[in-house]
Amino acid sequence: MNTRYTVFRYVAYGLELLLLFILQSTPRLIPEIFGGKPLLLLPAVLTIAYLEDSLPAMFFGLAGGVLLDLGYSDNIGYYSFLLTVICFALSLIFRDYMVVSFFNATAFTAVITTVLVCVYFLFFFIFAGRENSMFYFVQHYISRIIFTILCGMPLYLLNKFIYRNLRDA
Amino acid sequence: MKEFFSYKSVKILIATLSAVVVAAILGATGNPWISSGFNALTKGLSQVTAAASDAVGSKTYDELKAENEKLSKEAADLRAQLVDYYDLKDENARLWKYYKIKKEHSDYEIMPASVIRRDTGEEFHSFTIDAGTAMGVSEQDPVITSNGLIGFISSANAASAKVTTVLSPDLKAGALCKRTKDAGVISGNIVYTDKNMTTLTKIDANATLKKGDLIVTSGIGGVYPSDLIIGRVDTIKYDEYDATKYAVVESFENIKRVTDVVVLTDFKNKGEVGINKGNTRENR
Repeated sequence: MNTRYTVFRYVAYGLELLLLFILQSTPRLIPEIFGGKPLLLLPAVLTIAYLEDSLPAMFFGLAGGVLLDLGYSDNIGYYSFLLTVICFALSLIFRDYMVVSFFNATAFTAVITTVLVCVYFLFFFIFAGRENSMFYFVQHYISRIIFTILCGMPLYLLNKFIYRNLRDA
Repeated sequence: MKEFFSYKSVKILIATLSAVVVAAILGATGNPWISSGFNALTKGLSQVTAAASDAVGSKTYDELKAENEKLSKEAADLRAQLVDYYDLKDENARLWKYYKIKKEHSDYEIMPASVIRRDTGEEFHSFTIDAGTAMGVSEQDPVITSNGLIGFISSANAASAKVTTVLSPDLKAGALCKRTKDAGVISGNIVYTDKNMTTLTKIDANATLKKGDLIVTSGIGGVYPSDLIIGRVDTIKYDEYDATKYAVVESFENIKRVTDVVVLTDFKNKGEVGINKGNTRENR
């Protein structure tokens, strides 16, 4: 079986995640717009999951989650666990029940991003008992969610391009 | 259900999740080997990108274009000079700042470091520096610049360390007003974080500090040295829930944009629970 293009595709995804991590964590590279910066890795691994089989989707979800967690707190946990499960499930859902289209991908990215970021906020701000949490949510998290969803659109197109052009016959 | 768990991919998923949970537990119990390994691998890359970002800053296209034209002209004249002239100049300026800190506080053991990464979510402007335990940095070490306290090391591995800033509610430090000796606890407040301000809480009801007063660390607890500048009082306010007083303090350093810092790896009375000379409720 010729798997050359599959390997190239996975390498391309890996490089993409690494590049997004660098873009995301480099000081002052991405400007804050309305107090928020996008979480680039989140839509990237989601869009990979829409296109790939469950196992590669799961491993890229894990990789993106680990990078997100390390960027946040130096310990893996929240995003690593959830993105591993979500990407695995998304891959199965899109394989069996959904058509991979720009609209579907954007809709799923929007819902999952909103839920993940809001649950993160719930755990690490509300349950942690921080004062004035909602102020911080309005100032930073709403714009972060919106920009993350918007970034999902070009990332979907990019990953679809990679998927189409680096695929074994 | 039994059939579902018999799938190979589901078994791999469960094994992967188990590995994630084990790694998370190990990390939470003080063995962050994944992050240590990852940080060691990406440190060089982060240094390069951070340096590139420092060079560009956040200027507009026109500003950059104008600067580029100007620099191109200058570059022709400077070719004859040493290639690393600017590096040496920057290094000299940075070392001069450290020298001043060291001269003023001979008891300080310092470790200069550069910011290599900003946190993914930039929660309270925390960041990662390029100095870790291999260079003598340890958790809870204060992080400063020549303009005063920046924060503390909240986690450290061999190659790098994470700094929680004075703008974060996670930082609690004993502090007092230099003029009146009114004491309190410095801690970030979500409302003021974006304005580069923190708060001096738990101030006595009779405190007389006012706008413009200098706030410094008290040294109580032995985590931070005494007399470390934190900032200047901007306003005095009352807590809307318990009617206690607190002061909004503006940092002298722009923490959001700081690029070079100093870690205090050791100082006089480190780890000793000192006696606060300030006017606490207990002292009155």
